[in-house]
Amino acid sequence: MSDGLRRRDFLKVLGAGSAGATVAGCSTGEIERLIPYVVPPEEITPGVATWYASTCGECSSGCGIRVRTREGRAVMIEGNPDHPVSGGGLCSRGVSALQGLYNPDRLASPLRAGTSGFEAISWDEAIGMLTERLGAGGRPLFLTGRKGPTEGALLDGFLAALNGERVVHDPLDDAPLRAAVNIAFGVNTLPRYDIAAARLLVSFGADFLETWLSPVKFAADFARMHGVDDGVKGKFVFVGPRLSLTGQNADEWIPARSGAEAEIALALAGELVRRGSDAGPYTDMVSGYTLEQAARVAGVEVDALNALADQFAEGAALALGPGLAGHHEGATAANLAVLILNVAASSLGQTLHIDAAAESGAPGDASLAGAIANMGAGAYGVAVVSGTNPAYTLPPASGFQDAFSRVPFKVAFATTLDETAALADLVLPDTHPLESWGDAMPGPGTYAVRQPAMRPLPMFDSRPMADVLLDVGRRLGHDAGAATFQEYLRAAFDGWLGEDGEATGLTGDPNALWRAALRTGSVSYIDQTPQVTGLQAPETAVRFDAPGIDGDGELTLLVYPSPRFGDGSHANRPWLLELPDPVSKVMWHSWVEMNPATLERLGLREGDVVSVATAEGAVEVPVWPYPGIREDAVAVAMGGGHTNYGQFADGNGVNPMTLLGTATDAGSEALALVSTRATVTPTGAWRWLTSPEGSSDQDDRNVTPAVALSALGHAPAEADHAAEGGHGQLRELQEGGGFRTVETEGRAEDFPLPGSDFGYYGEDHPRWAMAMDLDKCTGCGACVTACQAENNIPWVGEVQATMGREMHWLRIERYYETVDASHSGPVDIRFLPMLCQHCNNAPCEPVCPVFAAYHTPDGLNAQAYNRCVGTRYCANNCPYKVRVFNWYRYTQQIPEPMNWQFNPDVTVRDNGVMEKCTFCVQRIREVGNRAAVEGREVRDGEVYTACQSVCPSDVITFGNIKDHDSRVAALAENERTYRVLDALINTQPAVHYLQKVTLHDVEEAGH
Amino acid sequence: MATADARQRGALPNPDVATYEAVNRDVLKVLSRPGKGWWVLFAMAAAGVAVFLGSWFYQIYQGIGVSGLNAPVGWGVYITTFVFWVGIAHSGTLISAILFLFRAPWRQAIYRASEAMTVFAVMTAGLFPLIHVGRVWHAYWLIPYPNSRFLWPNFRSPLVWDVFAITTYFTVSAVFFYLGTIPDLAAARDQARGLRKKFYQVISLGWRGTDREWHHFSKAYIYLAALATPLVLSVHSVVSWDFAMAIVPGWHTTIFAPYFVAGAIFSGVALVITLAVPMRKYFGLEDYLTVKHFEAMAKLCLLTSSIVLYAYMTEYFLAWYSGEPPERGSFWNRVFGHYWWANWIMLTCNGLVPLMLWFKRVRRSIAALFVISIFINIGMWFERYVIIVTSLSHEYEPWAWGLYRPSYVEMGILLGSFAWFGFWFLLFTRLLPPVAIAEMKEVVPPPMSSRKEAAT
Repeated sequence: MSDGLRRRDFLKVLGAGSAGATVAGCSTGEIERLIPYVVPPEEITPGVATWYASTCGECSSGCGIRVRTREGRAVMIEGNPDHPVSGGGLCSRGVSALQGLYNPDRLASPLRAGTSGFEAISWDEAIGMLTERLGAGGRPLFLTGRKGPTEGALLDGFLAALNGERVVHDPLDDAPLRAAVNIAFGVNTLPRYDIAAARLLVSFGADFLETWLSPVKFAADFARMHGVDDGVKGKFVFVGPRLSLTGQNADEWIPARSGAEAEIALALAGELVRRGSDAGPYTDMVSGYTLEQAARVAGVEVDALNALADQFAEGAALALGPGLAGHHEGATAANLAVLILNVAASSLGQTLHIDAAAESGAPGDASLAGAIANMGAGAYGVAVVSGTNPAYTLPPASGFQDAFSRVPFKVAFATTLDETAALADLVLPDTHPLESWGDAMPGPGTYAVRQPAMRPLPMFDSRPMADVLLDVGRRLGHDAGAATFQEYLRAAFDGWLGEDGEATGLTGDPNALWRAALRTGSVSYIDQTPQVTGLQAPETAVRFDAPGIDGDGELTLLVYPSPRFGDGSHANRPWLLELPDPVSKVMWHSWVEMNPATLERLGLREGDVVSVATAEGAVEVPVWPYPGIREDAVAVAMGGGHTNYGQFADGNGVNPMTLLGTATDAGSEALALVSTRATVTPTGAWRWLTSPEGSSDQDDRNVTPAVALSALGHAPAEADHAAEGGHGQLRELQEGGGFRTVETEGRAEDFPLPGSDFGYYGEDHPRWAMAMDLDKCTGCGACVTACQAENNIPWVGEVQATMGREMHWLRIERYYETVDASHSGPVDIRFLPMLCQHCNNAPCEPVCPVFAAYHTPDGLNAQAYNRCVGTRYCANNCPYKVRVFNWYRYTQQIPEPMNWQFNPDVTVRDNGVMEKCTFCVQRIREVGNRAAVEGREVRDGEVYTACQSVCPSDVITFGNIKDHDSRVAALAENERTYRVLDALINTQPAVHYLQKVTLHDVEEAGH
Repeated sequence: MATADARQRGALPNPDVATYEAVNRDVLKVLSRPGKGWWVLFAMAAAGVAVFLGSWFYQIYQGIGVSGLNAPVGWGVYITTFVFWVGIAHSGTLISAILFLFRAPWRQAIYRASEAMTVFAVMTAGLFPLIHVGRVWHAYWLIPYPNSRFLWPNFRSPLVWDVFAITTYFTVSAVFFYLGTIPDLAAARDQARGLRKKFYQVISLGWRGTDREWHHFSKAYIYLAALATPLVLSVHSVVSWDFAMAIVPGWHTTIFAPYFVAGAIFSGVALVITLAVPMRKYFGLEDYLTVKHFEAMAKLCLLTSSIVLYAYMTEYFLAWYSGEPPERGSFWNRVFGHYWWANWIMLTCNGLVPLMLWFKRVRRSIAALFVISIFINIGMWFERYVIIVTSLSHEYEPWAWGLYRPSYVEMGILLGSFAWFGFWFLLFTRLLPPVAIAEMKEVVPPPMSSRKEAAT
């Protein structure tokens, strides 16, 4: 076996030789195509991955990523554990950047609008046109998404030279929060929340685990605050009309009406003031608010609010919100009320921090409404759109499309021809963030760098917008002093370091610091910004009235950003389209969430296609019954219903923005997402929802039990038994991994008998096992996308997914235990990440007629694809239903160049074979080989799976359970540990789950 | 008058035929000239075979995804139909071998047709595992053969047992079937002319009807009958273990082997009735396949129906008695879940409708038996559908429950399989004597001149 050229090596050489040279890493010069690696480029060894630390560009959070490249192609994105803010986690959208990079709908060349559609032109022509128009004297408007600090500075400098105007439009920006901080503390910044330090966390609707501000960081902090690693467990209360994914993780839900946040927060603050707290200049004002009144406005029980006030009084509290889904006409006031509550609860300086001199974000964001009016009035000669898609994300009532079309010359920097770019006169293909330079300031004391992980893809003739602007600026006589943005960024870094590290505390060679930043992805420095210590009196009186809701009927329409697509900008990625929505579990299409009681009242059932209508428009969308939404509300997620975004997004679902009018938040001009009521009428049509959900009821199977916090720590101490005369219980590692209690007759020290403690896994083999802490799992689904990216798992499309043929090796099951929208009380929704359990007694193995399913000596339940005949007997016999079958040639239907993302270490499966989770065997082997070459054992934690690599909440632990010092072995012995269905069918899985811990008492089904 | 004499022997279900000549004439007449009706049926069957093969090749080209199968329901109409045809294949051997060994006097008239049915049913059933697998071009890997990779099939897998069971059963029943026809083929040869004569000359292996030949023939026949008898029990037991050896709730039970064998005989006898009624009518064999024969088969149906109904009840009881939520859930789902209708079709057709056979009038009514046998055929197909599909759709992990709907391709292959079976059966009725001439003569009054004279 060991002699000669091994098959895998041969294939590596073959792959590298024939295909490897199309692109090479960013650090090399031009590489001719189709020339084998006779002289390999530096840093690239065929068959060995090169990693680049960078910064995620999918939203404005600025999480740290590590991009794995093979032969010059990015194949995988993981969280960067060295990153001080995101700390090794990542979300599904971040991982899916790969499908943005390799998206077949990317622009192949600059486009000019002609009489009959767009025509391709050269970059020279395009830049010439742009230079000419910008130089012609008309005032330019730049409509951009949120940009990194240096790119933003470049833009601002460029526009300053041209007397231009820049408007930032980011639907996921919490402008009301910014405005509220400005009113409360007099600084223009976003607060910093220290969730991990809180003992009581109250979210007034802020979806901090999904879309709000920095979800990955918050998820990590939440896991620390809410997990029971240290024996303590913080409490999380969700206040709002609909349980988002964040809400599903709450311990308690107060189902308050949308718009009642301010009333509740002020009443709580008032209650705290009555108990002796101080709310600064607002003390008198809040004293006027009572919990009774708040309960009436919110439609909840006053007892729940009283209890909440008691908990606030205990200290270490933090209130968040109302977040993006709470953008209504009084959003700024509601945010201000929550800030006042935080001050009254003495959270300022403890769990809530406000930087005094901060100048974060785009200074004084110019008004979007004003820009639209000006565009309509012909105030601009040129309008440039970049990184935002207002033609899709703004309601038609905003008049954007009409106003935009009146601008004489419209330019779009875009990666794909989106709804806004389609209206432009000139479309310039921008590079993807994975091909671009950039930076971010994701948190205090952190400067994060974005570096390209690979050269721009050859089939898309794209250029970074910043490079183009530098070029245009030079032609117009405004030289920014740098030929490329890379140089500009490098110079900006030096400028930021300053002399002698005054501002940052960083000293030393700037080049060395820069190299370190590139290597680790970020630079940590000492943040010397002073903190705000108290509230200031408002300049003008703020009205805290409940916001107006237009329209007839009794159902309030809740529009919220999708955890998968955000504002819709990630909607052209099949991985995300086929990722079950964390809440509804629906894939591909849109749905409207309605309480089952409301459905019954309207005579509807799941899957009925209804027309959701407001004064502005109507959408037809199927119903998904959800017990986690108030009976007087319906909810539709943003992100669907694209009309011109790409082959995957177009026509999928509906765009709820078409239902909204022009109502905005009074304090910040942010669009009010909750501003109208809707009427729901059946259309008579019905459809299967595209959902993997079989049942959300455990049906007495107890596949995900929970334990009350009060019941923890009461397990009998076993050592005492063993000490009594040698008779007693010993814990023995059983064959399948994990431990079982054995009764002993002889002396304890005689056990285990030699050789018996490892089962039939030989002495020289590890037994790979996994532990999952369900108390920390938030059900976000990042692991699912990471698994899909790592293991070349195809998507199957809406029709196939509706038939139940999605190919995910890992899924998040969601079971309702306690969800009741009719009154306040505990919430208990359990998430169970389900993957191949790598059973020791694997039921799939004996039934395979050809040994395609077999057991490896190190405890993996392996699947030999080439040997599989496709009887599907193994899948029938798998009690966990984690085996998926290639019903068609799914992998061959993946369009060029999305197949460039394939991980070369993993087989691409063909038609008619079974596949499933491998515990990332390619990673196990890679590490094992490295350890063997270095002549050492594999270290604990050295092998980590793809799902583990992105989990922000540190749910997943992987390792050798035979090593008693390993983390996974310790977790397997935890008193919360159980294995799914093991007690019933003795499968002895390798995956050990740690039960969820609840604050309320648990009644277990089936006991 | 001789006919009347034969009838007077009434206690035995002997055919109403008088003479050896009549036997030869009546049976071989069937082979002589196809009627228009035969050609119409044959054309329909051939068209059905075209649909069958066309659907299958389309599936091979596109992938098994053209079926409605999914996760969790990885087995559906194909395996249902496989088990159905294996079950059908049982009655032939039962009627010919077991009843031969037990000297049941009513078997002679029907055993040839039911043996042919057995062989063609196994030929049909054997295709379904091939149709079902994802990569049919690798299906030969299930056969143990020496190879340079030193790879053997997994002998722990019930699917490998299936390969053995089905191939053994096919081989034995085909040989048994062929052996039994040899004397009749010789009779056909003696009457045929031209090309047909050549054909019968070859396949009758030069049978002359000598004492010595008869001696060897009957020895061989009884040995083969003894060999085939255990197979009747073993084949469907093995097929049932495809399910019983799995841990799927609703499959994992020890009752499956006897339950499946009884069900197989039940469905097989029912199909014999379904086929014998029109055949008897069309070919004018009323004197050979008499009401007595049908009544005997009806009694067999009644017995096996009772066993099957008992098995259903046992399953329900044990599901409840086990106390295990997955087991209880599985059976609750069968009766009240999404596929309740399939379960009630099964119970009605297999348990309730055959209760009518307790009435002698029903047992002796050819029309009633024909209708009931069709109910049983439908019911037995649905029994397998219920076992396979509803169990898989509702297993341990509630989140992974799912539903399955057969696709047009699956329906095409299901219906096509009947055409495929009919195709061979129609050929059989044209080419081989559909009633055993030689054995019929054993039960027809021997041509004794003295008796004849006495009567006149």
